[in-house]
Amino acid sequence: MITINVTVNGTAYEETVSERLVLVDFLRDQLALTGTHIGCTFEGVCGACTIHLDGAAVKSCLMLAVQADGHEITTIEGLGGKKLTPLQQAFTEHHGLQCGFCTPGILMNMDEFLHKNPNPTDAEIRHGLVGNLCRCTGYVHIVRAVRAAAETMRQTG
Amino acid sequence: MATNPMDNGGDWLGAPLARKEDLRLIKGTGKYLGDIVLPKMLHAVFVRSEYAHARIKGIDTNEAQAMPGVVAIYTGADIKDTMKSMSQPVLLPNLPAKFPTYWPLAIDKVKFHGEPVALVVARDKYVAVDAAECVYVDYEELPPVLDPEKALEANSPIVHEADGTNEIFAMTFTGGETEDEQKKNDIEVEAIFQNADVVVKERFRVHRTGITPMEPRGVLCDWDETDGLTAYITTQRPHIDRLALTDILDIPAEKVRVIAPRDQGGGFGVKAPFYRENVIIAHAARELGRPVRWIESRYESLMNVGQERDQINDLEIAASKDGQLLALRNRGIADNGIGCTGVYWGFVMPFLGAIEMPNAYTWPKADIKLRVATTNKASLTPSRAFGHFPTRFALERAIDMVAHRLGMEPSDLRRKNMVSTLPYTSVTNEYYDSGDFIKVWDNLMAQIDLSAFRREQTTAREQGRYLGIGFGCGVELSGVASELMVPMENQPGYGAATVRLDPRGKVRVYGGDAPGGQGHETTTAQAVASIFGISPNDVTVTTGDTGTTPFGSGTIGARAGSYFVSAVAKACEELKDKITRILAHDLQIEASVHHFEFKAGEIIYLGDTNKRKSFRDAVERIVMWPINLPEGEVGGLDTTAFFEADKPMICFNADCCIVEVDIESGEFDIKRWVTSEDVGKIINPLIVDGQMHGAIVQGLSNAMFEQFIYDDQGQQLTADFEHYKMATAADVPDIEVTYAPTPCPYTPLGTRGIGEGRPSSIPGAVTNAVCDALAPFGVEITELPLRPDRVWKKIQESRQ
Repeated sequence: MITINVTVNGTAYEETVSERLVLVDFLRDQLALTGTHIGCTFEGVCGACTIHLDGAAVKSCLMLAVQADGHEITTIEGLGGKKLTPLQQAFTEHHGLQCGFCTPGILMNMDEFLHKNPNPTDAEIRHGLVGNLCRCTGYVHIVRAVRAAAETMRQTG
Repeated sequence: MATNPMDNGGDWLGAPLARKEDLRLIKGTGKYLGDIVLPKMLHAVFVRSEYAHARIKGIDTNEAQAMPGVVAIYTGADIKDTMKSMSQPVLLPNLPAKFPTYWPLAIDKVKFHGEPVALVVARDKYVAVDAAECVYVDYEELPPVLDPEKALEANSPIVHEADGTNEIFAMTFTGGETEDEQKKNDIEVEAIFQNADVVVKERFRVHRTGITPMEPRGVLCDWDETDGLTAYITTQRPHIDRLALTDILDIPAEKVRVIAPRDQGGGFGVKAPFYRENVIIAHAARELGRPVRWIESRYESLMNVGQERDQINDLEIAASKDGQLLALRNRGIADNGIGCTGVYWGFVMPFLGAIEMPNAYTWPKADIKLRVATTNKASLTPSRAFGHFPTRFALERAIDMVAHRLGMEPSDLRRKNMVSTLPYTSVTNEYYDSGDFIKVWDNLMAQIDLSAFRREQTTAREQGRYLGIGFGCGVELSGVASELMVPMENQPGYGAATVRLDPRGKVRVYGGDAPGGQGHETTTAQAVASIFGISPNDVTVTTGDTGTTPFGSGTIGARAGSYFVSAVAKACEELKDKITRILAHDLQIEASVHHFEFKAGEIIYLGDTNKRKSFRDAVERIVMWPINLPEGEVGGLDTTAFFEADKPMICFNADCCIVEVDIESGEFDIKRWVTSEDVGKIINPLIVDGQMHGAIVQGLSNAMFEQFIYDDQGQQLTADFEHYKMATAADVPDIEVTYAPTPCPYTPLGTRGIGEGRPSSIPGAVTNAVCDALAPFGVEITELPLRPDRVWKKIQESRQ
């Protein structure tokens, strides 16, 4: 067992974890942040477990909890806090989610994506989404939602 | 884009509202099965077969048992005498089949790579995984049965030895009930083929693929001496699961409650069967007196479920030289896998696929037969476009091949032979209740300019670019009437809903089905709001809990927009009638429900619009102050209604796509995808659009990318997302959905159930487009998946 210090959604935690504990399990089971989902067998393909580590979108199934020691994490629960971000707002207005299982990972990925690329083409959005699998939507409304969020974010600065 | 509910003047049917489900899901506060934690909960992990076919000589659990934190280990031998088999009547279709007898864990023999052999229960899930690695199973390998055609030969090894054959099911779908009638029909069909101007005869193959949901399966069971079993299951049909748990584990029915979590990460049919994992987890919870949870890994999921299609169709079409379709003959062979899956047994999908084969075309005669072979693979499990993905691919491809032989436009051949008057009964006795196929088709053709496309295609070819256009269509079930549900799944088809009004004028709806992302909370609320003239915000929907909801056969077969919402409407109308009876009495007027309008939160007497009462006050009066009522009335506003259509109902759709093929690499790009839909009266256009987008991309992903592969020893090679390739956003096109609806005359709101069958027309349409592009090479593709290597090979073959 190892003690780690990690800040999650603005709260500092000192937690004791087993060396082999996967970061996504730490978030879900130890911190009860169940908005981060597990959709594949820790292979990093489905993207449902995407979080921000020091501001970068990463897959929390491909990291151990001990590797997060000293880092800052944001999960879906901390993305907009009590308010919705323009991206979250666009997802509901454009019906960018159905079952919602992949949605937290997609929002975390696209949040980073739009900060890097505030004026993306549809093709760029589609390529930005290759790390997230969605089974329900056929991606059509997801692309529209991301495009609309980009517009809103550009207008509101 | 969604509009604000309050901007709408009260006509909620057809309003593009943002969903009620969304807020919790975009904030990460949804409650999926894996998010439910109970005190003292234990974690379960399965030991699964490493072989496709092997005898179990022994299982050594000693090392695992001794590991700290391990609470219990179960094997097939441990449980066989403590419960009934999985083959209980509630799970058996009323169809003539050889149903295997099996238990939750393999007994004596394993029959596919991935079959559950033992269950480890531990205090920690990591410990459970470690211990499962230390359960040693001694196997004696047996020859695996992997080819469905060879499986049906007399000298094949037998998968389920007690059955004495690998033919689990066989049926003739045409010609009549008796063997003599069918034989006579076969002869008549043969005569048509002998005399036809044109005959197309091909073998079509569709690989093993399906609609894997993003959330894998899971079960959490809790046992209490007083209340009995509470089972949280990722499921589309909690009420059937409850009956099955009752019967198999011999628990009195009043002591079994099944709860499908409010949020489920997709189902698409995969969560519709009754699975063996449910039983063993419930058994462990009862034995141990503690909650036990199993969350399926993606690896287990891809080993066990979501495998459908997998069928050979030897199909023949006879046509006249002026393009009249004369006869259809098909010999289907389906690869069932082991078939040990409650409700469906694998073969129910190909059974329905054969029935749905004739599609929207008139066939004067047909001869359709199916044989289903048991093999040492995972059982077929349902996947959206239940059963008819392979038969539709074969038929839609063959129609194009007839058109090519006749030198006709494939779209003209389709329209010429399309059913033009409904109702209609197909050659396989499927009833098409209502709609207008021609209107839907003409609307599709109006979205494209075919002659302009042909000119562009010719010009492009001169420049060495190969454009193609492809079509397909699909008659799909709008719910499943009892007339079909009882024989096919031994369950009722009716929809059921409880509607409960509270003294604050709010409405709660209870449904026994269990959605997984289709937006039923929103569409149901819109239907209720439109009937009561209130806001959808005042309506709450509870689903999936057998402890509180009326019986329902599940969220399957597009039942929500057809049967469930119709039951909701019926219950609301009953309550509305009662409210107005009492209101008329209070207002001292002679009036019935038709004399009142429910609008914007008020109930208005149309004879004198000054006579009105708020919906809330009217409800509160009846629920809270049931005095001075009309004679014979009692207070309270709470009712359960059941809806059944007299005959089965359908919806209809058509697709067109345009592709460009690179003849040097075989790669192709979908440049445009446009559809035309009859979905009846639309409740929420955003949700219906989303259903269509999702279904079409699922069809494309199945047709072009996804494939379960077993090697020659029956080892499954595709149990992760690196190898089982699902379409990403960059792999698929934008989708243009258009509508040409006809309200259904048999549902109270004119709605149709939509979405379930929708992927069926996709593989044919996209392959037709690729073949159209390659017409100069005479390429006809008859096998899926449709991948660049196959396209390239076909081009090379044609050049030789």
